[in-house]
This record gives sequence, C-alpha cells and structure tokens, in this order.
Amino acid sequence: MTTHIVFVLSTIFVVSFVSFSSKPSPIYGGFGLIVAGGIGCGIVSNFGGSFLGLMVFLIYLGGMLVVFGYTAAMATEPYPEAWVSSKAVLAMFITGVLAELLVACYVLEGNEVEVVFKFNGAGDWVIYDTGDSGFFSEEAMGVAALYSYGTWLVIVTGWSLFTGVLVIMEITRGN
Amino acid sequence: MSIVYINILLAFVTSLLGLLIYRSHLMSSLLCLEGMMLSLFIMMTVVILNNHFTLASMAPIILLVFAACEAALGLSLLVMVSNTYGTDYVQNLNLLQC
Repeated sequence: MTTHIVFVLSTIFVVSFVSFSSKPSPIYGGFGLIVAGGIGCGIVSNFGGSFLGLMVFLIYLGGMLVVFGYTAAMATEPYPEAWVSSKAVLAMFITGVLAELLVACYVLEGNEVEVVFKFNGAGDWVIYDTGDSGFFSEEAMGVAALYSYGTWLVIVTGWSLFTGVLVIMEITRGN
Repeated sequence: MSIVYINILLAFVTSLLGLLIYRSHLMSSLLCLEGMMLSLFIMMTVVILNNHFTLASMAPIILLVFAACEAALGLSLLVMVSNTYGTDYVQNLNLLQC
C-alpha cells in the first residue's frame, strides 16, 4: 500500500472535497476544506515539492481559510446542519463517496486506466529523471526565480492585490 | 502518466458541481470556489514537479495570489449581503425575479 500512498491520499482528497461539496452548514464545509488542504500538502510533498506544500499550509489554510472561518462565524445560523442531520446532504455525500470508490476499484483492478491518455499506476513513485541537479532543490530554485526572471509577474500581482484592497474598501463602504 | 491526475480532476469536477448547485447559503458556494482553486493548485504543482519544469514553479504561487484576491472579493460581497438582509441566504437575492 505504501508504494501507492499517493493514490490513497488522492482518494481521501476527493472524499474530503465531496464532504464540503454536499453543502452542509459553512462551518462544517470549512472543516472539510481544511482537511483537503492538509492532504493536498501531503500529495505535493510526496512528489518532492516541500516548499509548495508548506505554501498550501501557510498561505492557503493559514491565510485564506482563517478569513473564511471568521466570516462563517459572523454570518451563521443557530442550528447548523451537519452531514447526518439533513437527508439531502447525506444523500449527496454518499453518492460522491460511491462514485469515488467506483473509480478507485476500477483503477486498482488492472493498475492501468485509458481515458484519453494511458495512465499507469507506476507513475506515482517512478518520476522521470532528467539528470543530476546538484545540491539544490530544483523546485525551490524555480520559486526563487520569481524574483529574477519573474520581476514583471511580481509587479503585476502586487499591483492587482493593491487594487483589490481598494475595490473591497469601496464595496464595504456601504451607505 | 500518473493515476493521481484522475483523482485531482475528479475533485475539481466535484467542487464545480457543488458551486453550481445552490442550497441555502451563499457561503457554501464560496467554499466550493476555494476548493476549485485548491485542486487547480495541486494539479499544477504535481504536473510541474513530475515533468521537472523548474521555471514554472512560480505559477502555483501566482495562482494562489489571484485566488486570494478573488476570495477576498467574494467575501466582501457576502458581508454586504449579510449586512443588508441579516443572513446570507441565496433566496434574498431576488432583484431579478420575474
């Protein structure tokens, strides 16, 4: 099982996506998204991307989802509905889990799936190697290239964040 | 190619379905939008890491920046709806009702 740990993690990833797509109350949906973020970090780390996995935890979970949590706590209802307290939510959740189990069983039958491309099960842990990359992690070097080759990207994203803050202040001005 | 891609695509489609099918809260649809962004980030990162496409490693970070902008804008609209109507129920948005 541990050779296919990435496939197992991605199956749990889909199940946690189903858990908030079946639309329980937003607090429980936020919890499902936090679990999905953690498992996504695990998938990315298994392919060697430790920096980008930590980006998911820090920026995505620690920045964006904390804001979502506060807003959900602000705009909530006295009796939030969980996954088992509403038939519609439970039915959607079970449908999603069954669909994912079907896909997982179909994949684990023959270890090979052909949709448009030929996906094979060995591709999880056998990564195509393009030679020696020295003593540095190439993914961290690629991210660091944001400040040398990607200077214009930094300027555009910084300016769009600044404009976004101004737009939000105009929207929430009210009156 | 890796089997992981099928599952990440399935997660994206699940989130997209959740975004398009409304129940009562606007907030749950915003959460599904965030889920779509997360699955796109994971997909992009796994493809870039598998193909050793080093210089493209900055693309997931740029995606995260714009997803944060979009989440903040969606949340500010939700806060204004909640201030006007008291709750964030989708049935309150009925100006274009026929």
